[in-house]
Amino acid sequence: MKIVSNLLENIEGIQIYYIIGLLIFFTLFVVIFIRTMRRSDNEMEEIKNSILIDNDSEEIITS
Amino acid sequence: MENQKFFYDNKIVKLFLLATIIWGVVGVIVGLLVALQLAFPFFNFGLEFTTFGRMRPLHTNAIIFAFVGNAIFGGVYYSLQKLLKARMFNDTLSKIHFWGWQLIIVLAAVTFVLGISTSKEYAELEWPIDILITIVWVVFGWNMIGTIVKRRVQHIYAAIWWYLATFLGVAILHVVNSFALPISLTKSYSIYAGAQDAVVQWWYGHNAVAFFLTTPFLGLMYYYLPKAANRPIYSYKLSIIHFWSLIFLYMWAGPHHLLYQALPDWAQALGVTFSIMLIAPSWGGMINGLLTLRGAWDKVRDSAVLKFFVVAVTAYGMSTFEGPMMSLKSVNQITHFTDWTIAHTHIAGMGWNGGLVFGMLYWIIPRLFKTKLFSEKLANAHFWIATLSILIYAIPLYWAAVTQWLMLREYTPEGFLAYPNFLETLTQILPMYTIRIIGGTMFLIGFLLMVYNLFKTMAAGSVEANEAAEAPALVSQGSRNPVTETIHRWMERRAVRFSIWVFVALAIGGAVEIIPMIFIKSNVPTIDSVKPYTPLELEGRDIYVSEGCYTCHSQVIRPFRWETDRYGEYSKIGEFVYDHPYQWGSRRTGPDLARAGLIGGPMYKNAAWHYNHFMDPQKMNEQSIMPNYAWFAKKEINLDLIPNKIRAMQTLGVPYEEGFDEFAVDDLMKQAQTIVDDLKNSNIEIEPTKQMVAMIAYMHKLGKDIGPPPVEIVETLEIAEPEELELLSGEEDLAAGKAIFATTCVVCHGADGKGIATFPDLTDEEWLTGSSPSEVYLSISNGNITKGMIPYKDQYSEKQITQLTSYILLTLNKNEDSK
Ligand code: HEC
Ligand code: HEC
Repeated sequence: MKIVSNLLENIEGIQIYYIIGLLIFFTLFVVIFIRTMRRSDNEMEEIKNSILIDNDSEEIITS
Repeated sequence: MENQKFFYDNKIVKLFLLATIIWGVVGVIVGLLVALQLAFPFFNFGLEFTTFGRMRPLHTNAIIFAFVGNAIFGGVYYSLQKLLKARMFNDTLSKIHFWGWQLIIVLAAVTFVLGISTSKEYAELEWPIDILITIVWVVFGWNMIGTIVKRRVQHIYAAIWWYLATFLGVAILHVVNSFALPISLTKSYSIYAGAQDAVVQWWYGHNAVAFFLTTPFLGLMYYYLPKAANRPIYSYKLSIIHFWSLIFLYMWAGPHHLLYQALPDWAQALGVTFSIMLIAPSWGGMINGLLTLRGAWDKVRDSAVLKFFVVAVTAYGMSTFEGPMMSLKSVNQITHFTDWTIAHTHIAGMGWNGGLVFGMLYWIIPRLFKTKLFSEKLANAHFWIATLSILIYAIPLYWAAVTQWLMLREYTPEGFLAYPNFLETLTQILPMYTIRIIGGTMFLIGFLLMVYNLFKTMAAGSVEANEAAEAPALVSQGSRNPVTETIHRWMERRAVRFSIWVFVALAIGGAVEIIPMIFIKSNVPTIDSVKPYTPLELEGRDIYVSEGCYTCHSQVIRPFRWETDRYGEYSKIGEFVYDHPYQWGSRRTGPDLARAGLIGGPMYKNAAWHYNHFMDPQKMNEQSIMPNYAWFAKKEINLDLIPNKIRAMQTLGVPYEEGFDEFAVDDLMKQAQTIVDDLKNSNIEIEPTKQMVAMIAYMHKLGKDIGPPPVEIVETLEIAEPEELELLSGEEDLAAGKAIFATTCVVCHGADGKGIATFPDLTDEEWLTGSSPSEVYLSISNGNITKGMIPYKDQYSEKQITQLTSYILLTLNKNEDSK
């Protein structure tokens, strides 16, 4: 494997793809995480329960 | 607000669910057949149409695209309408989707049986069918997005994000992976070559698992699990976070299927890192599912539906933990190429996908047919049989994987492989294959119980094809109010914008993985000595591809001593630059063939051997489970297509000289004649245009170009002064000699030493190179590579060769004398 990878280490711009990708992921993750956590719990409950309200379900047990 | 009246389309749901059940039975039966074939080669029936190489793709595709595919569509069409309070966007699109998909399935089944295949795993279908898939898939997406747009609820519920991600993910994967250059209606060449093709293929393969077997099922879980338990999903916030992380991360992990193979290190590292990170979002899904049931476990005890869901979610958790572990290099060494992978996929397939589909069917069908399930008892019986069958299926395979791996890497104290012949390690695990059949049979029995139960249920009720419902119309909310609305919420409100973001998340991962491989040429260092395939070799290669030999044979040697000793020098990226498509394979049921053509290498076999082996592998070695390919000697190759193929290869960048297409057929006939002559020396008559000849040419091309220059005829036998050799007549020595003979030499000299076909009889008075102990010793240690006798000094110690010599002269040959 070494012969092959030595060759590749000299290619410019390869590692950068890797780093950029990870950066994008972590930034997005943090943004999404914070925004999601700040959403109101009531709104979440409402959405969660909404799917249970139709003719298919008998009684609804919310938590 | 005024209520609008509308009708749910139940008929389309019913059609998809029926198709699920029917194709499911077919897929499982074919699965059972391939399991039988691996334990008992008899079940290949000696017919080209039913050989393992053609049946395995039929099984995998039937399960994934026919059974699971129809289940997804049925489940989506039912839940989407209810969730959005709207009928499917357009009935005609629904119908095209349904019948188009069934047509694809039928075409797939027919073409696989006929040996029409691109050999790219889980994307084996040829280009016309690929186009059809694209069309039908777009119809599905159009229909779904149309429905979302005309919905009557504000919020797009979590399940639907997963459906959208499925649609987009599969669309990207399918299109990118299927690029091919058509030669005829039934044959095309992948535009990618070698390592690039491998990366694209496994980027696809891995993400087909993600976007066909995971995301849609998470979507289904988010709907059917809360519905069946009648409680809301545990945490909606968790569902948002795990959605975005999961779809973003999955796209990156593909190269974990190619560890230790001829792939740049950075790509391997990328695959491993992201695979490990994937545990988090996957477990997010599992936890969300299981915790939904908290406080409802008493219900789980009675309800088969919930029990199936619990098994499904648990299997999902197990597989998504096991998968990342398997992408650690040290673990991958064991799991790759062995039955571990097969066990892993079946825990996921039978547990996660199977469990969810079964639970879903038991839940929807009674509701759709407005009746009760015919028998809750039978459903529970199905549950227990199915769950047990998964264990009986998987445990023996894990066992087999570890056993085989240990055997493959075992060395004798003298430093030689303990089991140089691959078949020995396979024979050892065949009993495990028999147990697997029991697991598969049980799974099928459970399945049939379900079919009976569901058909009884259907007979008792009837579907209201258009079910009336009403809901208030959706009032447009206008643009985003930054104070009260989060971005996610705002994006969800706009289905189209939401889809675009999902697309972007997916595209980033795909791009990072693939683009550098394809566009940076220097990623693939070429090797000067590697020459393009001759027309005859190319033809042989095409047969190899269409017969699905890759389902059992790999063509890539990893850089471990126990692989290089057994198969030859490890594989380099540059060797594969002319391979459209690549043939590395993913499972070694037979030995690696990457160096099968390297004269003097441990794998080389001469033309006569190959001929006899293809005609009847079990004659060469009773334990072999390779199907026979006797029709290679009868079927003609298609000479008319040869120039086309050469031109296509030129278009793809293979450096044949200008105008070579016109001489290609002559070149082919010339090369074929040399093989025909060679075979004639062994008293085998065959015409040069038979498939057999092309196949032998291809076998002899494998690895030939990068080996050391072939040693000219070894004259050592004459030169070496035969010194006195002391035979070992002790019982132990003879037994040791016999053991080696029985595993390694039988394939040519026969179990009784009388020689198979044209291979020399070692029991008679006639000796080609002398009968003195030292002469026989030299015959074995130096071999005669041009005639097909392997030089065993590289594989066995001097003592072992002496034991062999003693066994031949004292046991085999003496028996003859005493008669
Ligand atoms: C069901 C799995 C299976 C399939 C399909 C299969 N093989 Fe094999 N093959 C084996 C096994 C097992 C062995 C080892 C035992 C033996 O030599 O028969 C083997 C051995 C071989 C060998 C001998 C390797 C050596 O030097 O020891 C060659 C060559 C070969 N196969 C070629 C092919 C080709 C070409 C195809 C497709 C036309 C094919 N095989 C399809 C299982 C398979
Ligand atoms: C791939 C087929 C193949 C295998 C496997 C093989 N042989 Fe041979 N063997 C041959 C052929 C072909 C010849 C004849 C060579 C020649 O013409 O000089 C031969 C010749 C011999 C001879 C000399 C016979 C004579 O008449 O002089 C001996 C001894 C022998 N083999 C022993 C073995 C032993 C021991 C093994 C196992 C370790 C073995 N062979 C495995 C193909 C094979």
